[in-house]
Amino acid sequence: MFEPKILGFCCNWCAYAGADLAGINRNQYPPNIRIIRVMCSGTIDPLYIMKAFQKGTDGVFIGGCHIGDCHYQNGNHRAKKRVAVVKKILSYLGIDPRRVRLEWVSAAEGQKFAQVMNDFVAEIKRLGPNPLKKRFKA
Amino acid sequence: MMEYKNVLTVCPYCGCGCNFYLQVFDGELIGILPCKSHVVSQGKLCIKGWNATDFVVSKDRLTTPLIKKDGKFVEISWDKALNIVSEKFRKYSSDAVTVLSSAKCTNEENYLMMKFARAVLKTNSVDHCARLCHASTVVGLGKTFGSGAMTNSIGELENADCIFVIGSNTTEQHPLIARYIMRAKEKGAKLIVADPRLIPLTQFADYHLRQRPGTDVALLNGFMNVILNEGLEDKEFINKRTEGFEEVKEVVEKYNPEDVEKITDIPKELIIEAARIYAKAKSASIVYSMGITQHTTGVDNVVSCANLAMITGNVGRPSTGVNPLRGQSNVQGACDMGALPDVYSGYQSVSDENVRAKFKKIWNTELPLKTGLTIIEMINEAAKGNIKAMYIMGENPMLSDPDINHVKKALENLEFLVVQDMFLTETAQLADIILPAASYAEKDGTLTATDRRVQRIRKAIEPIGESKPDWQIICELARKMGTQGFEYSSPAEIMEEIALVTPIYGGIVYERIKVIGLQWPCPSKEHPGTPYLHKEKFSRGKGKFFGIEFKEAAELPDADYPFILTTGRIIFHYHTGTMTRRTEALNREVPIGYMEINFEDAKKLNIVDGEKVLVKSRRGEIEIKVLETGRVPEGVVFLPFHFAESPANALTNSAFDPVAKIPEYKVCAVRVEKKQKDITKI
Amino acid sequence: MIKKVQELAKEYFVNEKVDVIFGLREKNNHVAPHIFKKVEELDNLVVSPKYPLLYNCRPSKKNIIRLIEEKYPNIKIGVIAKGCDKRALIELAKREQIDMKNIEILGVACSREEAIECRCPRPYPNNLLIGEKVEGVFEDKSVEDLLNKSLSERLAFWQYQLSKCIKCYGCRNACPLCFCQDCAMEQEEWSKTGEIPPEIPMFQFIRFYHLADRCIECGECEKACPMDIPLLTISKQVRRDVKELFNYESGLDIKQKSPLLTTLDETPMKEGVNK
Repeated sequence: MFEPKILGFCCNWCAYAGADLAGINRNQYPPNIRIIRVMCSGTIDPLYIMKAFQKGTDGVFIGGCHIGDCHYQNGNHRAKKRVAVVKKILSYLGIDPRRVRLEWVSAAEGQKFAQVMNDFVAEIKRLGPNPLKKRFKA
Repeated sequence: MMEYKNVLTVCPYCGCGCNFYLQVFDGELIGILPCKSHVVSQGKLCIKGWNATDFVVSKDRLTTPLIKKDGKFVEISWDKALNIVSEKFRKYSSDAVTVLSSAKCTNEENYLMMKFARAVLKTNSVDHCARLCHASTVVGLGKTFGSGAMTNSIGELENADCIFVIGSNTTEQHPLIARYIMRAKEKGAKLIVADPRLIPLTQFADYHLRQRPGTDVALLNGFMNVILNEGLEDKEFINKRTEGFEEVKEVVEKYNPEDVEKITDIPKELIIEAARIYAKAKSASIVYSMGITQHTTGVDNVVSCANLAMITGNVGRPSTGVNPLRGQSNVQGACDMGALPDVYSGYQSVSDENVRAKFKKIWNTELPLKTGLTIIEMINEAAKGNIKAMYIMGENPMLSDPDINHVKKALENLEFLVVQDMFLTETAQLADIILPAASYAEKDGTLTATDRRVQRIRKAIEPIGESKPDWQIICELARKMGTQGFEYSSPAEIMEEIALVTPIYGGIVYERIKVIGLQWPCPSKEHPGTPYLHKEKFSRGKGKFFGIEFKEAAELPDADYPFILTTGRIIFHYHTGTMTRRTEALNREVPIGYMEINFEDAKKLNIVDGEKVLVKSRRGEIEIKVLETGRVPEGVVFLPFHFAESPANALTNSAFDPVAKIPEYKVCAVRVEKKQKDITKI
Repeated sequence: MIKKVQELAKEYFVNEKVDVIFGLREKNNHVAPHIFKKVEELDNLVVSPKYPLLYNCRPSKKNIIRLIEEKYPNIKIGVIAKGCDKRALIELAKREQIDMKNIEILGVACSREEAIECRCPRPYPNNLLIGEKVEGVFEDKSVEDLLNKSLSERLAFWQYQLSKCIKCYGCRNACPLCFCQDCAMEQEEWSKTGEIPPEIPMFQFIRFYHLADRCIECGECEKACPMDIPLLTISKQVRRDVKELFNYESGLDIKQKSPLLTTLDETPMKEGVNK
């Protein structure tokens, strides 16, 4: 049974707090995600997304504040634009862009966080394991 | 007012002979621009070529002559230095002095060096590092075809139907030649790769034959056995163009695939299929390099390759042939110029009376008759005390010769050692006098690439400090020693003399060498150069077959030393690292040495990736970091030889091929030990 | 047409509109960039075959114009610029790598054959002085082939192509817009150093992403690759996507900031473009 490994970058002020809230409220979500706390979704260098896939991660989740609510004003604007470009490049390289998901989850949305996780893990299960794991070896 | 120029020159690293422009802004090198109109490189370069300016301006460049006083080097003037050298050289008899010329120096400089050795020092003991890499080629192809050079051109590989790469990690050693192999593959050619390691080419190969190191003759005889059994040989070619077929037929009949499998560890089905593909191809090329030449059976290996090509009629047509890939930027040229103990320039023998008379006349001096010593012999004789002085130009035997502990003792035993180089190399450290030489960017001259292409390097900047181009140093030294015939005002003049005495370079004149260079043989000023050799007849008339029996390598693994050590190169560094380890981009890629060991072997020895281990052989020991990989088969370890702090050649065997005198770098026996933890240092 | 270019350049010299001209020179049957300081030298000025005028010299990582400007700040430089050269100049000026105030552009158009060879969408600079505007090449076979492949076919294609890479950094060295002092492609953190092929597709992804808002489709990366890896295909398509997503085209307007450096209010993003 394929159990995906998903890497999550969650911003400190919103998404990470939302994940925390999901935990406090016992909103169940699958254990497949490993969360890394960052200060802002805008600090995520898009190269990390590709690096995660290079290392064999099956999916990458990026959680930030809603537009207009970013603690640093417009960090999440950057995240949105970058993820759009990264998804395009990944699709040309043959990696399904649906493996990358960007969601705005506020600190109060514990339920939403769990729901998004359930959804994303199900999607990745459908998409299957990271195709880069089977690359040619020299 | 600002000065800007682009100077077209040849890359100083490998034998591909790529051209690029050195960009000079106000007298300083600012960058490199590839040359799009060059026939081989076509505007592309490898990482070493792109960074070929760093070492030229390195702070380590020698800027003044140095003399050793009380174990330390002290600066002296050129005049004093050359006076001391000329006085010392006059003292010694011609049997006691030897000369090492350089495969990195230009044709003109190699010609002058061998002229200096023969006309001034009166010795034929001049040699250079071709001894360590393609001496087997010069002898082997000389025996079979009559000419010891790459038979076809690099660009022709693109149109071959089958390419058989044996003993060459082409992608890492000659990246721009690997480009043509890949292009051929993408056009539909079949690629057969024979190498004990998994090299970058193997992932694209149709057949990868992983032979046990040192068993190439058996493999090649096995190929010929299959070809003769299935009637795939080119009977017309054999009848019309060759002699000695019965001899080789008798020998290869014994090498059936089952027996070859036992010797080489390659499954017999692979041998049969690969042999069929090679034989059935319309134009098949053999490409080989150190894996074939650096063995005690090096000449046998080369002759077997030649046998295979002749049996299938794959010589003398475009995109066929036997293609040895020469390593250094000018090793082909150094051989052509006669920096070898048994020939003058153009491979004219020293013992031939007519040849000697010709050179005596042109150089206007007596010349020695006895064939000289090769590098290995020079080192052995120096260790015994029979050689008292050496003049080394642009070579680093302290890292590149096998069994370097022995080399160190030999060089230390000399009474007088002169080293002419750009940097304070490991060899220069042992010298009595060091003469600072100029780099490729600071002088004019010609270099000959592996496909016999003579190209020009051009001066871009002034020599750094007080360094001088090697040709100037040799001329001044000769004049100090009172010899006539060294009054050249430019390298172009030297080339005029070379063209006069060397038939294959007869038509080489500086004005004729434009962007594509001239491929020898080029006997006259109207001749356009020769892309492929042996078109209607071989250089010796008919190609000669030799029946070659398989012999094992000199030192096989045993209970005490259970691993086979094979040495080689990596793309990011070059040879003894004198240039590449002073280049930032290359050091960033690979800062220190490492040893490749198979995953299973590492597990058995309980060592992990990145751990430092001790590697010991009967000659010496080194400490080195380990890289666990599937690239080497079990029982084999691989060491790149570029790293002075963990020199692979401290371990290698100096046993050599009896005719070519080339050492067996590719096979020796070692032991790998975990470093004992020093428990007092907790 | 080359005569007209030479005459115009000479005119600029004579009228002291420029102190030096930066363009291509033919000497002994080969062509390379040159700084012309005397009117007579301009007899050897040519405009083809194409050479990158603005690539960044290593190890300083500065292009020739920047080196001139730094050492001789008051010199007026006339650049014989083709479409791609002009786009490169604009992108470099946007990022303050060169100062346009002392640069005079002598815009030259490319022929239709040259445009087809380079697969160029805009083979002429805006302030065109010599030559006729020809139509650019918009249909590109390699891009279409890529888009027609399924995801797994695309992956197999790039796995093969990128595994030929020998880490020469030619793609980066030949790119006019790759001027970073600390290039991410060299950092150990992103891709392991010292092996070939490098970690794929991470190694090339770094360039594809970093150039998303800068690539001017000059094609030099692909021309510098010894292993014939079709790098331009992805960069071309990404540039089209950036145009669709942000209505931004690199190299056209010096005042238009890169969309990845602005907020969504300044440069809105078109929704629903992503799969």
